[in-house]
Amino acid sequence: MNEASDLLDAEFARARSGERTALTALVQAHQRSVYSLALRMLGTRDLAEDLTQEVFMQMSANLRGIASNRHLGFWLHQVTSHRAIDQLRRRSRLPMASLEDGAEFFSAEDQTDPLLQRHLRALLAHLSPPARAVLLLRYQEDLDPMDIARTLDMPINTVKSHLKRSLEIMRAESTRISPERCEDRST
Amino acid sequence: MRKFALTMFIALQVPVLAWASPNPKLLIPEFAGLAQKATDSVTITLDPALLSMASRFLDASDPQDAATQEVIKGLRGIYVRSYTFDKDAAYSQADIDAVRAQLSAPGWNRLVQTHSRKTRADVDIYIMVDNNQAVGLALIASEPRQFTIVNIVGAIDLDKLHKLEGQFGVPKLDLDAAKSAPKQQDNSILKK
Amino acid sequence: MSEDFESELRAALRPVEPSAEFSRKLLANVTAGEAAPRKPRKLGPGAGRPLVWWFTASLAACLIMAVGIQQHQQQQRLRQTGLEARREVEQALRLTSQKLNLAFEAIKSQSTATDEKSGV
Repeated sequence: MNEASDLLDAEFARARSGERTALTALVQAHQRSVYSLALRMLGTRDLAEDLTQEVFMQMSANLRGIASNRHLGFWLHQVTSHRAIDQLRRRSRLPMASLEDGAEFFSAEDQTDPLLQRHLRALLAHLSPPARAVLLLRYQEDLDPMDIARTLDMPINTVKSHLKRSLEIMRAESTRISPERCEDRST
Repeated sequence: MRKFALTMFIALQVPVLAWASPNPKLLIPEFAGLAQKATDSVTITLDPALLSMASRFLDASDPQDAATQEVIKGLRGIYVRSYTFDKDAAYSQADIDAVRAQLSAPGWNRLVQTHSRKTRADVDIYIMVDNNQAVGLALIASEPRQFTIVNIVGAIDLDKLHKLEGQFGVPKLDLDAAKSAPKQQDNSILKK
Repeated sequence: MSEDFESELRAALRPVEPSAEFSRKLLANVTAGEAAPRKPRKLGPGAGRPLVWWFTASLAACLIMAVGIQQHQQQQRLRQTGLEARREVEQALRLTSQKLNLAFEAIKSQSTATDEKSGV
């Protein structure tokens, strides 16, 4: 049976065997995830686009070293996270673009609390780069802690500590920024 | 020693954290043996990348496609296994038990459990809810010559699924009535 | 509030699409390196010989054509993958609805049986 996933695997095999134009399917399938991770790590669209392009250029140069389409997902998460963390460490802080730029952080049809949306970039900025990566891989990419540990080459207990601490920080900041969020929930 | 004991006591009070969240994605076996026996099989594995690609090929100007886009927006996976056989009882309940066992894990709530004498079909529908939002759906349908497992992962909007009524033949499913209707009317159709 | 926060965080962090313009540039750049025709090699002292240039130019033209055909085939395969994914989404939803219908019919017939028993 010709499954769509088999077709994507076939595209990957073609790209890997040297048919480089088969990259198009792979890029289109994974660009949303890579771009969103880059955007929320680095904070601005320009930096996110640059990183996204770097990651996919590296992918195209290193396809032979990636075993399968499924491993490609893992590889993309890993490279995007590591590069973003490196960039942030070089810069030593997240560039704080104005909050009016926050619209691009979220999907246009998103129904999330607009106060949370507005301040999410600021909330993420409170986290260290590795902690931010852990949080995004967990809540954006739905990876479980073991996969996050493998992706970031980080001990599992460190992943759990980052998650625990990050949620505490973000909850505390969220309450500080908009105390009525807690009041509304308690009624 | 007291400090250690105090630390341990505090640690044990830490509320359940993110990694303890239940997983709405089921581990569905390959069913290789059954696939060989089946006259027809359906295997669908749509992860986020493929759902994204599918969405691009849906025509937003077509009402059915637009409704489908709405349903799959926010989904992170659709997994289906369905096997049809040319005779009754070609599969056993044990084949499905590995999946059913996962649905007794915390987080899953059985929404509906039905048995039809007319069609001899058992249909169980489970929902995983996180803060009043459905984040996973599992459906197991056992019929004399077919069994089907559906697992949908992600932010399922049951209203939008309901609005597919009339498309794909989706029935007008009153889920509120389904939740409140008695699951069995008499003991002869009670499931264990 | 803590349970709300994690759910809202998950909802807020759903992946977003890059702009269409960026996507186009990204695809062009990723495939450009392999698609670009190679420059003719200089062949030492005789590098200016017209025959060599014609041969090299023809080879480059063939390469460009081959890549163009490949790209077209690639676009066709991409389209096939996307259409197959769409077909599978529709099939999955159709199957789901069929089985929901089975459940619904069972509930309905049970309700009817109950009503009949109680003389409604």
